[in-house]
Amino acid sequence: MSQRILVVEDQEDLRAILRDFLSASGYVVIEAADGVESVAKAVSERPDLVLMDIQLPVLDGYDATRQIKALPGFTAIPIIAVSSFAMKGDEERARAAGCDDYVTKPYSPVQLLRIIRGFLGDKA
Amino acid sequence: MTFADQAVIAIENTRLFEEVQARNRDLTALGEVGRAVSSTLELKVVLKTIVERAVELSGTDGGSIFYFREDIGRFELGETTGLDEEVIARFRKLDIAAGETGLGEAIESGKPLQMADITKRSSNPLRDAAIEAGLRAALIVPLLSAETPLGALVLQRRQPGDFPPAIVTLMQSFADQSAIALENARLFDEIAQKSRELEIASQHKSQFVANMSHELRTPLAAVLGYAELLQEGIYGAMPEKSLPILTRIRSNGKHLLGLINTVLDISKIEAGQFKLNLTEYALGSMVETVMSATESLAATKKLAFKTEVAEGLPIGLGDEQRLTQVLLNLVGNAIKFTDAGEVRITVGAANGQFSLSVSDTGPGIPAEECEHIFEKFRQLDSSNTRAKGGTGLGLAIAREIVEMHGGRLWVESTLGRGSKFHMELPVRALIAAGAA
Repeated sequence: MSQRILVVEDQEDLRAILRDFLSASGYVVIEAADGVESVAKAVSERPDLVLMDIQLPVLDGYDATRQIKALPGFTAIPIIAVSSFAMKGDEERARAAGCDDYVTKPYSPVQLLRIIRGFLGDKA
Repeated sequence: MTFADQAVIAIENTRLFEEVQARNRDLTALGEVGRAVSSTLELKVVLKTIVERAVELSGTDGGSIFYFREDIGRFELGETTGLDEEVIARFRKLDIAAGETGLGEAIESGKPLQMADITKRSSNPLRDAAIEAGLRAALIVPLLSAETPLGALVLQRRQPGDFPPAIVTLMQSFADQSAIALENARLFDEIAQKSRELEIASQHKSQFVANMSHELRTPLAAVLGYAELLQEGIYGAMPEKSLPILTRIRSNGKHLLGLINTVLDISKIEAGQFKLNLTEYALGSMVETVMSATESLAATKKLAFKTEVAEGLPIGLGDEQRLTQVLLNLVGNAIKFTDAGEVRITVGAANGQFSLSVSDTGPGIPAEECEHIFEKFRQLDSSNTRAKGGTGLGLAIAREIVEMHGGRLWVESTLGRGSKFHMELPVRALIAAGAA
């Protein structure tokens, strides 16, 4: 069965790029456009990995990550923070919120895939 | 000569002597007042000095400065001398409308106004309060700055009677000095206010540029991302001919991203948000990274690319990413501006400092420009900007980064022979310098 990735990103273009690329790479992509939706989709879709944008409307990526990690059975689900902040302290904040890795925008999809495979293995 | 004649001469001499002494005293006091006006911008100190000297020299009982608030047509009591606290408190509470008082009259006429007996004047709050305080005579000298009324210098006496013309003239000089002091203070406040406004405007601008650069990166990320997916064949196989075009789209996009990041850096520096992220690093491998990123560029221009890295360099503490950026900038510039010859990186360490230099055999930099090139938006000439590209911000950022580490960055150059950029960097950057 294909592995499932929850892409949390409020910019439609960036979400589309990830969807197209990750689908082409063999993953099932679930999308959420804000922090609240990401928590709801995490519960209903049980993804294998989450790509979490930090700057999000309604509920930011830090809080969404905390809430998802607190769900029963979600502690081991990897969450990769994707942030356009390149300020000192952002990575520490993301990791403190429970993120397992941290990527700054703009990233190359190919580079991102390498990181995802590091968590999910090469079987997709 | 009779005894009477001699007596007359003696009396005349005494009178002349006293006159000279009085004149000297006046001049000394005026000099003192002038010094107070020019040496301090503390308005209260200046006006207090003026009122005190004025009362002393005129032999009056009290003196005060009243400020004229032109916007509301009213006077307010400023500095005083010789008046009881109780009297001062009463004066301060008064609502002194210009129209009704001697103060208003003096300002209106622009000339000193004598009141030999204030009880003979019609009633107004200030006059009544003065009479109640036991004052009988007043001399009011308007304070004017280029015809604009600023206030009045007032001398008060318990005894009724005229003020001698010499005193009136002297008080006129004191009033002129007071007006200068008031005008200086007003100009000073105006400039201070303007510079505060400029400071705030400049911060807003930096914040705006920082936000804007940040916003520019989002759509650019989409452009670069889609181009990469097209090239990867995610949307189906691309015609052979379009592949190099996609490469061009991506390389131009990356170049644009680099420019945006540079502007973002400089605006962060200006907004005071530029922070170092201190980690341990190996300078040798940093040099290798920079070399591998730039050697193809050097090869394209057929330049010799050499490095001399000393053995056993200590492990450094600093912002590895930012220092790599500095080195990339220096090496990138060296390659960019050199058409033939070599680019050489030399690295050593001594006394807790790394010393690194990047030398080239380029056109060199005129001596008078060697400092200016580290200023923001500065390049040697604008034709260079067009020919060689760049924002003119790289070296300004590089120097800021090095200085934040507690180091120094400078250049030595000989026209026609080449340039050598030197960097001196503490092996362990001070924690304070990098603390967020």
